Amino acid sequence: MMSLPFFGLLAGFGCVLAGQRGAALLLWAVSMVVMLVLFRLHVTDALTIVL
Amino acid sequence: MTPSMARTLNAVGLLAVSLVLIAAFLDQVLLGELPCPLCLLQRVGFMGAALGLALNVKFGPHPGHYGVVILSACFGGMVSIRQILGHIVPGTGTYGSAILGLHYYSWALLVFGAIVLGCAALLFFERQFAEPEATPARASTFLIAMTVLAATLALATGVSTVLECGAGLCPDNPVVYELLQGPNPPRP
Repeated sequence: MMSLPFFGLLAGFGCVLAGQRGAALLLWAVSMVVMLVLFRLHVTDALTIVL
Repeated sequence: MTPSMARTLNAVGLLAVSLVLIAAFLDQVLLGELPCPLCLLQRVGFMGAALGLALNVKFGPHPGHYGVVILSACFGGMVSIRQILGHIVPGTGTYGSAILGLHYYSWALLVFGAIVLGCAALLFFERQFAEPEATPARASTFLIAMTVLAATLALATGVSTVLECGAGLCPDNPVVYELLQGPNPPRP
């Protein structure tokens, strides 16, 4: 599951090389959303700091 | 700044981001330091920034492409800040080895900041957003080579992440490549 954003961005690079700008932007956006979801799933412990 | 100059500058930026990812990958392969989940997410931030630069290289400079770079760097920087805060209190440990006094996540935050500042500075050169000029053949080869290099790094990092974490989430402190580990011996 952690590899999903990498393969999404790899497909985005493929679209760039193929001249598909819109598809590349879409794949970038999806990859960033997946990244943020994974970030949320991994950051579960509270920080021991005072803000 | 002409559009072709901006494209070449973006290709140089793409090379710089690729070098950061190559350094992290070499550390992983040669020194055996497995990346933690947050380290991997920071690499995603770098890859996202690289994709924005590649869009500028291939289709010509566009404010939206710089937006892709800046947003990716902000997301990656957010992960870096979270990891720095997790270790900021003395005595709470660190992850990985330090380079020139700073750990990877601290360097990553500095590089993400530099990416944002660099893109913000480039956005002031408005002539680059004019109609793209025809680029010389040699420059085109360099531009495409940089994009292929970044795509190859995305593939290599994706495959290594599959080997490290399998199909699920990565452990917080990975010590082995899950898919390269042999089957567990039967219990007596």
